[in-house]
Amino acid sequence: MTDTRQVDELDLRIRNRIYSSFVGSGDAPTPGGIAAELGMPEQEVDAAFRRLHDAHALVLWPGSTELRMLNPFSIAETPHRVRAGGRSWFANCAWDALGIPAALDADAQIASECADCAEPVELEVRDGRLVRGAELLWHVLVPARRWWDDIGFT
Amino acid sequence: MVFLRSEERLERWLAAGGWQPGATTTAVQLHELARRWWSSRLQPGWRPRTAAESQAILDDLGLTGDFWQLTSPLPR
Repeated sequence: MTDTRQVDELDLRIRNRIYSSFVGSGDAPTPGGIAAELGMPEQEVDAAFRRLHDAHALVLWPGSTELRMLNPFSIAETPHRVRAGGRSWFANCAWDALGIPAALDADAQIASECADCAEPVELEVRDGRLVRGAELLWHVLVPARRWWDDIGFT
Repeated sequence: MVFLRSEERLERWLAAGGWQPGATTTAVQLHELARRWWSSRLQPGWRPRTAAESQAILDDLGLTGDFWQLTSPLPR
């Protein structure tokens, strides 16, 4: 959930550029790169990255402006790999793994694992329907109002 | 937020971690939630949802009750 009180139009413009850059190239953009693309001072973009993090519109690594999550995408490698449109992505969690085909509006194959036994599990989305993996369960440990207390654990 | 292969493995996983159970759905229900939650994320006109809008998605899928409340209840 994003806190809508903390972002303005410029922040949203920067956020949208971050997402389009990542989805276009597969590489996590930096404040310097986005600043160059938008013709803005890096310091201003740096501050926008931090505001977007505070507003839960993206997730940075602690104490830096390095991107960790562009939900539902993960910048870091995770056990949840999504193949869609001839490309491969990492998702932050089981929910996000199914969020990537939704965000891309694409068919996808998802390779993940059972949290208990670490055996591989596979899901497939085709034409907007879950056609493989329907027998799996999804478990959420953390109550919704505490999801952002520690988004990495959630 | 994890996948599990069965109820038995869910119980074993919870016991191994010493965790209290949270909430469980089917992957089918998760897929529908993911579709509604994330489908606008890359659209050019994306704007953040309000808490009420996000809550409505959960409510509409039957994900109700205290566990699924995104914000704390108002003080009484």
